[in-house]
Amino acid sequence: MKAIFKIALGIIAAIGGFLDIGDLVFDTQAGALFRYDLLWAVVLGTIGIAVYAEMTGRVAAVSGRPVFDVIRMRLGFGMGLVALVASTIVNLLTVAAELGGIAIVLELLFDAPYSMFVFAAAVALVAIVALLPFGGIERFFGYGGLALFVVVATAFHQEPNWGDVAAGFVPSLSSSSLYLYFVVGVFAAALMPYEVHFYSSGAIEEGWTEENLKENRLNAIVGYGIGGILSVALVVVSGYLFHPLGVEPNDLGTVALPMQGAFGETGLLLALGGMLFCVGGAAIDSSFAASYNLAQFLGWEWGRYQGPRKAPRFTASWLVFLLLGIAIAESGINPVEITEYSVVFSVVALPLTYLPVLLIAGDRSFMSGHANGPFATVLGWLYFAIIIVLAVAAIPLLLATNAGGG
Amino acid sequence: MSGDKRFRTGAFALLLSLFLFAASGCGDLSKDELNRGVESLSALAAQGQLVASGVARDATKSTYARVMAKTLGGEAEHEAEKLADATPEAGTEEERDAAVAVAGEIAGLFSELQTFPGDEHHGSLVQKHLEEAQEKAEAITARLNGEKS
Repeated sequence: MKAIFKIALGIIAAIGGFLDIGDLVFDTQAGALFRYDLLWAVVLGTIGIAVYAEMTGRVAAVSGRPVFDVIRMRLGFGMGLVALVASTIVNLLTVAAELGGIAIVLELLFDAPYSMFVFAAAVALVAIVALLPFGGIERFFGYGGLALFVVVATAFHQEPNWGDVAAGFVPSLSSSSLYLYFVVGVFAAALMPYEVHFYSSGAIEEGWTEENLKENRLNAIVGYGIGGILSVALVVVSGYLFHPLGVEPNDLGTVALPMQGAFGETGLLLALGGMLFCVGGAAIDSSFAASYNLAQFLGWEWGRYQGPRKAPRFTASWLVFLLLGIAIAESGINPVEITEYSVVFSVVALPLTYLPVLLIAGDRSFMSGHANGPFATVLGWLYFAIIIVLAVAAIPLLLATNAGGG
Repeated sequence: MSGDKRFRTGAFALLLSLFLFAASGCGDLSKDELNRGVESLSALAAQGQLVASGVARDATKSTYARVMAKTLGGEAEHEAEKLADATPEAGTEEERDAAVAVAGEIAGLFSELQTFPGDEHHGSLVQKHLEEAQEKAEAITARLNGEKS
């Protein structure tokens, strides 16, 4: 019974921690521009993150090695360094975007200056990390993020034409560069590299062993799967309300409008509250991911469980990443724009993160009886091929569409 | 030396051409760009109606309505400045002027919503006027695309 409860907690944390500012922005814009046509890309991205999160969790549980340990081991120092630099830039942009996102939501709730809230958000995050144990941090943000189920309720409340919604799950391609840009964006937002960096290091923080493999699989499949339902719901509510009106959701506040329309102030507050926890959780995950990567690559002591005394360089680097995130968020650049760039650039960094994971997870001499089976192998390589195609297309599409601005 | 001189002459000619092109101001707001600008105004008005509808129905939080009105109003003002500063493509001057006027009107309505984010009567009025402003923007788009409005 206790084990089931623990698994349920993990799943809930995964659901709440799935959505970040990238998903909120890209899913809402995708719905507004293309109605339900990009739902298939959301599903594709959700399956992709579940596949790779399961692999990284399994590698961590079996070998005790997190992602960046594996990357350095398989790619060597030179290519590993390239992966580290690319991931750090993307993670740093993500930290800044998430901090900016928290500040925007707080501004919408309390109408005080944005710049004050960026700083307040960072202070609050430091306090939460200092006061709560690792599992507590995950659950705090995970449970809070569940408020975003109001988006699913809104989708049902709107009563869209479910036949049209179902048709959106059938993959379709268009020659429109804007459509292709959003395919990349929606897919990449689901597969942000920090998610697996954090997931695998978190497995080690929580002391996972081979006994936790079932928990790992359930967290990855059910947790990310239900998180994917939230993403689908975002596209549906946006497609239903914004698409026919021609609304261009360029602000984070717009994401909450359909919930206000459906359930009034209660819906609005649930949406903003859920966004606050999701974006806050992602700020923690991405800032931790940046420090995990650096510490693991350079062989420092690392981990929240070790505390600042046993892992001083890890703790200091986390604070530095947070400070740099504040500096970028305070620079006056719109967090939504930072998000768009971080999501699209992450696609370019994805192969360097996922290839070593795929190789190690399939290595029988390393993983013994827990190496990838035929299904995971086929799925893993299929996704890697998709990632390569998108990595090549991402920057040209970003330039061709003026970052989705048309 | 002669190579240096040729380089300097070439660079000067390039700079002069760029200056003349910029100074001529011709066509720095193409019909397509104007169209996109007007469509953005229409989208802002549509979004504003949703925010104002929340105010009118007393179904929102006033801080949310105020901040959204401030943000969207800023975007409308920016669009107005962008359109007003640019030189329109020949034959689209009238539409450009109309677009600037609509942008100003939308920005003014957002300003009103920002001032009265908890007033249902103002919310209802702003919603109605934003709808009218959107219709004006759509009429400009129709004219630009050669449709009868």
